[in-house]
Amino acid sequence: MLVAGIPLRGVSVLLLSHRSACIALALAVSACSDSRAPSLEASDDFGDPVRIGSPPTRIVSLNPATTEILFTLGAGSRLVGRTKYDSWPDSAKLIPPLGDGIQPNVEAVLASHPDLVILYASQDNRPAAARLRAAGVNTLSLKVDHISDFRRTVLLLGAMLRDSVRAKTVIDSVYRTLDSVRTATAKLTRPSVFWHIWDAPVITIGAGSFMNELVDIAGGKNVYADIAGPSAQVSLEDISHRNPDFILAGPIGKTQIQSDSRWRIVRAVRDNKIFVVDTLLVARPSVRLGEAAVSLANLLHPGTLR
Amino acid sequence: MITVSDLVVSYPRAARNAVNGVSFVAASGTLTALAGPNGSGKSSIVRALLGRADVVRGSVAVAGSDVRELSLPELARRVAVVPQREEAAFPTQVREYVALGRYPHLGLWRAATRADDTAVSDALDQAGVSELAARDTDALSGGEWQRVRIARALAQKAPALVLDEPTTFLDVAHEMAIFELLSSLARSGLAVLLVSHQLNLVARFADTIVLLNEGKIATSGTPRSVMKADRLESIYGWPVVITHDPAVGAPALVPLRRPVTL
Amino acid sequence: MTHFRGWYWLLLVAALFAIAALAVARGAVSVPLAAVFEALRGRGDPTVVAIVRDLRLPRVILGALVGAGLGGSGAALQGSLRNPLAEPYLLGVSGGAAVGAVIVFALGFSADFVVTLAAFAGSMAAVLVALAVSRVGARGARADLRTLLIAGVIVGAFANAAIMVALASAEPNAIRGALFWMMGSAADANWQRVGWLALSIFFAGGALIYWAREIDVLSLGEETAASLGVNAERSGRRVFLIAALLAAATVAAAGLVGFVGLVVPHIARRMGLRAHRPLILAAALIGGALVVAADLAARTVAPPTELPLGAITALLGVPFFLVQLRRAA
Repeated sequence: MLVAGIPLRGVSVLLLSHRSACIALALAVSACSDSRAPSLEASDDFGDPVRIGSPPTRIVSLNPATTEILFTLGAGSRLVGRTKYDSWPDSAKLIPPLGDGIQPNVEAVLASHPDLVILYASQDNRPAAARLRAAGVNTLSLKVDHISDFRRTVLLLGAMLRDSVRAKTVIDSVYRTLDSVRTATAKLTRPSVFWHIWDAPVITIGAGSFMNELVDIAGGKNVYADIAGPSAQVSLEDISHRNPDFILAGPIGKTQIQSDSRWRIVRAVRDNKIFVVDTLLVARPSVRLGEAAVSLANLLHPGTLR
Repeated sequence: MITVSDLVVSYPRAARNAVNGVSFVAASGTLTALAGPNGSGKSSIVRALLGRADVVRGSVAVAGSDVRELSLPELARRVAVVPQREEAAFPTQVREYVALGRYPHLGLWRAATRADDTAVSDALDQAGVSELAARDTDALSGGEWQRVRIARALAQKAPALVLDEPTTFLDVAHEMAIFELLSSLARSGLAVLLVSHQLNLVARFADTIVLLNEGKIATSGTPRSVMKADRLESIYGWPVVITHDPAVGAPALVPLRRPVTL
Repeated sequence: MTHFRGWYWLLLVAALFAIAALAVARGAVSVPLAAVFEALRGRGDPTVVAIVRDLRLPRVILGALVGAGLGGSGAALQGSLRNPLAEPYLLGVSGGAAVGAVIVFALGFSADFVVTLAAFAGSMAAVLVALAVSRVGARGARADLRTLLIAGVIVGAFANAAIMVALASAEPNAIRGALFWMMGSAADANWQRVGWLALSIFFAGGALIYWAREIDVLSLGEETAASLGVNAERSGRRVFLIAALLAAATVAAAGLVGFVGLVVPHIARRMGLRAHRPLILAAALIGGALVVAADLAARTVAPPTELPLGAITALLGVPFFLVQLRRAA
């Protein structure tokens, strides 16, 4: 059933998902009230109101996760700017990079005349968001930290692009993979895992990060799951004390660990139980979450999946 | 003992020479005073002695050796100087402070011998501050601190002693005590060179007065010959009279009051 | 006035060893003292042995050496500059070291010895520039020692500007690494660093002890020093350079650990020491104990995070300046 070009079935499906209830409500209300050009109204994660009329055609996405999502939703051609770290899919590299995603260069962003800018909602970006709004540009600040954040971001972006069906498909596909990995590893013994993010100082992930969720889904247990925030700075001694079974690290991280004799106080280092992860794959809560979970499960429980 | 020969000292960026050809001798066993108005070059001569001023011409010699040919420790063994001002950054014990006077002899590593300890005790006695030996240097009065500084110079056991304005801020009793001390030191054989603008005290105790004006010697000689009213008036630019009180035994300068112009 | 008694030395050495022993035993993994001795000999749980021998022991020794270097350097500087508020970092040492380290971080190098070398080179360069600047500001060839302090402040201000520029264009991770380095930490202790620092302290500290009596004379003032046979400019510059070298070595090893060089000499003086030979030695012992204790606190106060060492020692500044205020009033 179509009402003025908007697939209402998409709206009714949205109504069913509890998380996006407020967005859905806003959508439903505006969709019914204005039959000509329904607009999307929502509050972003800074609490600022966002009002988007027709689907944006010049989007600047200053967050690797949202860039990937936009490409997957078929909106890659609408992108006019990205951060210099956004490199997936390959066609993303054709989009002009505009610098950092944290404390972005507002002038460079404005120079590309966007009609929508998507920011990562960290406190550092509040000034940039304010300046963009003051310049009259639609600014959407999203905190994409948990897997659930990924879901609602896809839904929101899908609604914006008037393609909620595709959005739902993407989400379903990712969640299906996640569920199958979770099921496959549910009954297995969970090895404890330390995820090495940075070396000087040593930083790891806490419960507030989607990477913690990924470890959980892949059948492992983050030794620092007791930390509430997304990341924490920890000492070598404490890591040794918590005695993880495995260490996950990027390729550079693994080199740093192996070249520093002090890491040998951690048993997993002495037993050479360090696994290299593809940071581009697993370090962003995006459309490849399913793949990420699979790759982690293959590291922690080799041979279990298919 | 201390021989100043045709000394010319200048400071960078100064209009005229601070010392412009000064010659005199401070002999052993005498108390010689350098006097004169502010800026006449008195302190510059002391600085030249210590090698801390630019000597353009002439020389300062101690016991026959030009000070520029002596190493600083060598110089310190021949002449002890008490500078005009001295504020120790950190308080120390009086005895330890006076003992630093032995540094020119002990250097970095030699331990103090009995002779050194005796020198320190003698110095404390001579300066009359033996009972202050255990006190902290920041717990001394102005006069006591001045005498302790002299004791430090005496501990150097050098044959010459130079003091730059040693009695500023001191009251009458302390001033007299220090001048008596300097006089007795001169009589015991030291060459004592004193820079002071206290003409009256100098006139009573010094054997020779060298009166400077604008970097040159205006006159020099015994107090009686130097203390002449007309000459002092032209040097200091102030009307004075010279009095001779038999109780005092030396000429004294008394400034007159200028009539007030309305 | 307090009189320093002979047995105070035993007290200082004992305190240092006691704190060091405690620091080796305590941490995220609590190791009973008996197990510490076993681990030192290589016996026991391999994790504990590794923690004690590869982590805690070099860290504690590094901390002690850093404290000793800073304490000795501060004592020598306060005496030769005749200023009770002088401290090793005022001479451009800290600014220069930070510039060196930050540039290395901003360029993306994180190899251990590169940062150390850059920090040391940066601080010595800054010190030499400070010396040159002080000569410009002085009358002719005579560098007033007080202008040295001002020159150090000038160099420090310039260094701050350079650091800001370097950090403004750096990656966020580089900024984090640079900031963490600047806040001071003994966490990167390994035996190489300990070796280099020990060597530096042996030579530079030894040189300060050698010239200690000259510092006694210097502290009386330039004219009095001259009358005692010491060329104040030459001698002061020499002490300044050696003390700066000592401080630079500690900064290269552990980043900026503030206030130790300022406070420790005052503690030593309060114990009754005046002459600089024993004063510098005592300041080294007290500084060593202080930094080891501060490092222990940094490790154990807010687990599992390690606080920066410089943050703990900065807290020292508060009671110190309060005491100074009361004295001045």
